[in-house]
Amino acid sequence: MSTMKTTRDVKGVGLSIPRPDGPEKVTGRVQYVADIKPRGMLHAKLLRSPHAHANILRIDTSRAKAYPGVRAVITAADIPQLKKKAPTRAHAVLAIDRVVFVGQPVVAVAADELSIAEEALDLITVEYDVLPSSVDPIASMQPGAAPVAEAGTKADTSEALAHSAVALAKSDTGPSKAVNVSQQARVQRGDVAKGFAESDLVIENTYHVPMMHQGYLEPHAVLAEWDTNGLLTLWASTQGSFNTRSEVADVLEIPENAIRVIPVECGGGFGGKIRALCEPITAVLARVTKRPVRYVMTRREELEAGMPAPEVIIRLKTGVKKDGTLMALEADTILDSGAFSGTVLAVSAVFLGSMYKWPSFDIRGSEVLTHKPSVAAYRAPGAPQTIFAIESQMEQIARALKLDPVAFRQRHLISEGDPMVNNQPWQSNGATEVLKRVAEHPLWKSRAEWVKSNGGNGTKRRGVGMAIGGWLGGLQPTGATVRLNPDGSVSVLTGQVDIAGTNIALAQIAASAYGIDVDRVRITTGDTDTAPMTGLSAGSKTVYTVGAAVLEAAQDARRQTLEIAAAEMEASVHDLEIEDGRVVVRGVPDRAMTLAQIGKKGNLYMSKVQPVLGVSRPAFTKQAPGFAAQLARVEVDTETGEVTLRDFVVIQDVGRAINPLAVEGQMQGGSVQSLGMALTEGLLFDPASGRLTNPSLLDYRKLTAADLPNIETIIVEVPSPAGPFGARGVGEPPIIPAPAAIANAVQDATGVRITELPISPERVALGVLAQK
Amino acid sequence: MAKQVLQSTINGEPVEVLVQPYETLLDALREELSLTGPKEGCGTGDCGACTVHLDGKPVASCLMLAMQARGRSVSTIEGLSDNGTLHPLQDAFVRHGVPQCGFCIPGVLMAASALLAENPSPTEEEIRYGIAGNLCRCTGYTKMITAIAEAAPATAALRRA
Repeated sequence: MSTMKTTRDVKGVGLSIPRPDGPEKVTGRVQYVADIKPRGMLHAKLLRSPHAHANILRIDTSRAKAYPGVRAVITAADIPQLKKKAPTRAHAVLAIDRVVFVGQPVVAVAADELSIAEEALDLITVEYDVLPSSVDPIASMQPGAAPVAEAGTKADTSEALAHSAVALAKSDTGPSKAVNVSQQARVQRGDVAKGFAESDLVIENTYHVPMMHQGYLEPHAVLAEWDTNGLLTLWASTQGSFNTRSEVADVLEIPENAIRVIPVECGGGFGGKIRALCEPITAVLARVTKRPVRYVMTRREELEAGMPAPEVIIRLKTGVKKDGTLMALEADTILDSGAFSGTVLAVSAVFLGSMYKWPSFDIRGSEVLTHKPSVAAYRAPGAPQTIFAIESQMEQIARALKLDPVAFRQRHLISEGDPMVNNQPWQSNGATEVLKRVAEHPLWKSRAEWVKSNGGNGTKRRGVGMAIGGWLGGLQPTGATVRLNPDGSVSVLTGQVDIAGTNIALAQIAASAYGIDVDRVRITTGDTDTAPMTGLSAGSKTVYTVGAAVLEAAQDARRQTLEIAAAEMEASVHDLEIEDGRVVVRGVPDRAMTLAQIGKKGNLYMSKVQPVLGVSRPAFTKQAPGFAAQLARVEVDTETGEVTLRDFVVIQDVGRAINPLAVEGQMQGGSVQSLGMALTEGLLFDPASGRLTNPSLLDYRKLTAADLPNIETIIVEVPSPAGPFGARGVGEPPIIPAPAAIANAVQDATGVRITELPISPERVALGVLAQK
Repeated sequence: MAKQVLQSTINGEPVEVLVQPYETLLDALREELSLTGPKEGCGTGDCGACTVHLDGKPVASCLMLAMQARGRSVSTIEGLSDNGTLHPLQDAFVRHGVPQCGFCIPGVLMAASALLAENPSPTEEEIRYGIAGNLCRCTGYTKMITAIAEAAPATAALRRA
């Protein structure tokens, strides 16, 4: 889309402007769901399954119901809409007859006080007949494994479509006859057998990435209230209020316009707050009790029964010629989806085969169900796991052939127009430029000195590693309005949930497109009753798609403003310009109207001037891939296996940094989540019982400030053709490369190749021992 | 169980409130006193979002009973700014664009202000350890460290004043 020219620069796009809600956040005044407490509010608690797989024989709630202060105790039998073949986790509001993971909700309670609701849970008796369970994904695929889903349940592919708009051809995907395999995909090109036969170097590894929790600091929370007309209001911590509305309407079988979702400040989501989780049951409790009901998950519930990232196992085999010519790639990917289908199988296949120009490939993927919590998105779902495999493999090839790892990648990296594995062409992207900036970086150029700098003494070894990864960029139709107010200020309205600071970027886009300083623009996130339909805050697409909507709506408002001024001043609209809050006739400085005069005319009794209301509702189809590379300097203690990160650089193509301050924040935050995946994170399930063995933030280690160096950011700007002012998605690319970059750095330091995450001291030390 | 009377000084004001004997300080602050700045991110003392000062020292208010604050002085994020003027730490956090989702921020600021009270000009490493008990999932900590270092001189001047 074209960007309108203004005669002078306004305070808008390209400036590092702190987000306007900063003061609310640093004073603790901003309210999250758990901070809201209407009069008469009840507290909800859920009794959850202690078993990974069991039949429910009997539930006795009589003692809980009789406990003073308890207002409702409900089971699946009290919710007639519930179906045994729940198509999604959201539909499985409470277990019917059978539980399929530890932590699955079985009974819901609402009480006057949280402590009373907790007491009531202890008074409920559930008799279970414990069944054999399938906890490990490989075991779960074997004949005779205990089945997870009710027979005939359909796979859920909406997650992949929502996040990256990646689709494989229909004939490539489908269910499998194997037990617990809920989705399969396969993409092929060329003759793989011939490719391997003609290869000089064939490397095969199996990469393993555990389930990980997104770790948003605010646990899931929702407040529900019904009015006497049967209208439901939900105050939700969600990444997409319209999506929450649709899911709740679908589960409860009520019209969407009977639900108002108010997106309260969201204390982090990272993909984990897209799909409905506790909203339907809280709404049911509120309906039964006719009182507002608030439910806040505990951290333990989040870790045991949230919606984590899938466990991913990738067997990857590559063949190349002695000179580094790529010949063949073969992969088997297994994504453990937990108890309900919903992984991003296609994303994994696309990134395994599409980053580099493999002449032949055969990539097979399977989604497997297990008796564990079902998964959801986690920032660039599937990409960090997949890039860990392919970028580890590229590094090993380069090392084996004694090729410069960056130059080797540069030779084979895709660019615009190259076919992806699904034969769609790569859109314009900055992958080449990002890799070039790695090669130029002092940390990369001085890597030999860094490796030598430990002097060869003691147990410390130093290394440098890099990796590059990408994200295709999400798409979703969306709407925005831009209004001119009677005082000449501008109001922007979308339904976009602002977590990362996107609202200030959207306001900057509106300012530059309209021709007014951003200080005069106020942006509001409306609820589902007031805002135009707006997509998810996910898929790195807020600025790309909602930004485009705001840009067009602001251009529309500008056009209307100029037309009104042209009529009022009897001038040609082509001679008009917006300057310093006034519409002026070019070259005639004293012929002007203020924006306030125009705004007022649109709101005067008996006025014939229409109010300025710019509207846009784009649904464009062109993605804008974003690439990020990361560069790490590590020090490895070969005795303890401890990896210390000394320096870390993230280099990312963002198309155009609408707000560099916010862009850096995304790059640094994404990098540290990526480093957490690399170094410490993983949900550990006992394979026999299916119970989580690390259900606290002490045992599930997230990185702290003391674990890290400063994260250096290098912003690369290769404009996207369709994005507002050339912007691309920013949020997801920085979470992708670090697991591979750190594994490559550890290999550089010690020669040990780690193929399983996290890269724990134990794994490194064992690897060092195995070398001796 | 009968409720008990908690008398203490909260953000400089004497307070008298009824609390359950099993109620945590965090719940008492949030539910009885409407001071919702301190957050519950884990309830087990691992994330730092509930950090408040007890007699000037940072504590995890989710790990304490409310009655343990009897006769003592508690400060929360609501008491950090002075009648609408942002504390230098708050001001630096805003200017450096530190808050993203914002959920960890009250706890981080209380940890940082306790650090600066004890060590007015900390090194980068001392700042990193000073807020190591506070998890942040959005920022990657880099801008936080910069903002705390930058706010240190103004915070020291404020204490002297």
